[in-house]
Amino acid sequence: MRRTSPRAIFAGTLILIAVAIAVLQFSGYFAPVTSAFMRPVTALQSWFAIRYVAVRDLLASPSDMASMRAEIDRLQAENALLQQEIIALREQASEAEVLAALLDYARAQPASRYLASNVIGRDVSPFIRSILIGQGSDAGVAVGMPVVTAQGLVGRVEEVFASYARVQLVTDPETAVNVKFQQARTEGILSARLNGEIFVDLIDLNAELSEGELVLTSGLGGKYPPDIPVGAVTSIRRRDFDLFQDATIQSSVDFEELSLVLVITNFEPLILESISP
Amino acid sequence: MAYIFGIPLLIVLAILQTTVFADIHFFDGRPDIVLLAVVAWGLCGGDRQAMIWGLIGGLLLDSFSGLPLGSSAINLIIIAYFVSLYAGRVWEANLLMPIGIGLVASLFFHLQALVWLFAMGRQIDLPFSFGRVILPSTILNMILILPTYQVMLGMYRRLYPPEVEI
Repeated sequence: MRRTSPRAIFAGTLILIAVAIAVLQFSGYFAPVTSAFMRPVTALQSWFAIRYVAVRDLLASPSDMASMRAEIDRLQAENALLQQEIIALREQASEAEVLAALLDYARAQPASRYLASNVIGRDVSPFIRSILIGQGSDAGVAVGMPVVTAQGLVGRVEEVFASYARVQLVTDPETAVNVKFQQARTEGILSARLNGEIFVDLIDLNAELSEGELVLTSGLGGKYPPDIPVGAVTSIRRRDFDLFQDATIQSSVDFEELSLVLVITNFEPLILESISP
Repeated sequence: MAYIFGIPLLIVLAILQTTVFADIHFFDGRPDIVLLAVVAWGLCGGDRQAMIWGLIGGLLLDSFSGLPLGSSAINLIIIAYFVSLYAGRVWEANLLMPIGIGLVASLFFHLQALVWLFAMGRQIDLPFSFGRVILPSTILNMILILPTYQVMLGMYRRLYPPEVEI
């Protein structure tokens, strides 16, 4: 009979340990160990990530100068237009305030509370599009909380540890966000392809979409608050024999350059399992 | 002794993997430096140590990933075991063999990750995964395996100087 080598027994033992850890983690018993071990590691990672982003931005800045100047010119022109728009909107605002008070609109939509967090890393698996943020359950972060930047929707908290959390990006193929089109006033479901490209599907075939149209979260489904910008339409595919049309979206967030995000901490996502009979 | 410097090294490598190396793209592929460190240490002759490194390095990677905790650890232990079967035999004979081992280890590592993702119920697109992720990552790993091996060999010889008869 052939004897198993000690090396194979050693490898088998280690695999069994890994399986045991996986089972303990799955049942929740290993979470305190993970949190305790990862706390100093996350602190080191946060320290390193902040410095790395600063160095990376510094090294990237000279090549960006020309594009930044062009961007400043464009923004100044846009700013002038927006100033005019603000004056017009201020006049309408006083009227709207009265109406909003009458409808008690403010009570129905309490202002979001934000928790700022550094992006301390990206998922090590190239098949999963998620980021790691340097705030965890210690800071009040919970699974399901939406994550945004000033530009728009980033994703939602998928996994939380004591000192850090993993955020599933909207570019991950497992993501599904209920969205609406600002002008067409129609809705659809935003998903991502495996290459990270995002698109909106299940759009009413009769809806008149246009390129550049802003896409916002609709709030349907209770996973995300309404009216968070997601991106703009870049192309539309509409065929008469289809039941729905779909649109490719350019996200308003540059996911490659994310360094700081905001977690909306006072939003309670609706867990569908909890309301099913 | 290898564990005293190995564990901090793996922590640093895992942090680098999520930050610096996450920005190094070839299509959607990225180098897997924890995998390279485990393979290189195994090739140097530290077979059991490489398996332990695989366990610790894999757990660290899984902590920074959406993959289940333990999945990368199992992958790396299996890879370290097979690498240990060739340790000390092939390097002297053929310089291309570490590249070959790097190729096989990298393909195995990513295919195993795909199996885990499939088991988790995620959608898998094999042509996309091969063309955009696995092959580019494997090419990067094959390029980096030789310098990684040299660095690890230097460390190994410092920790375990070869015995010389006088």
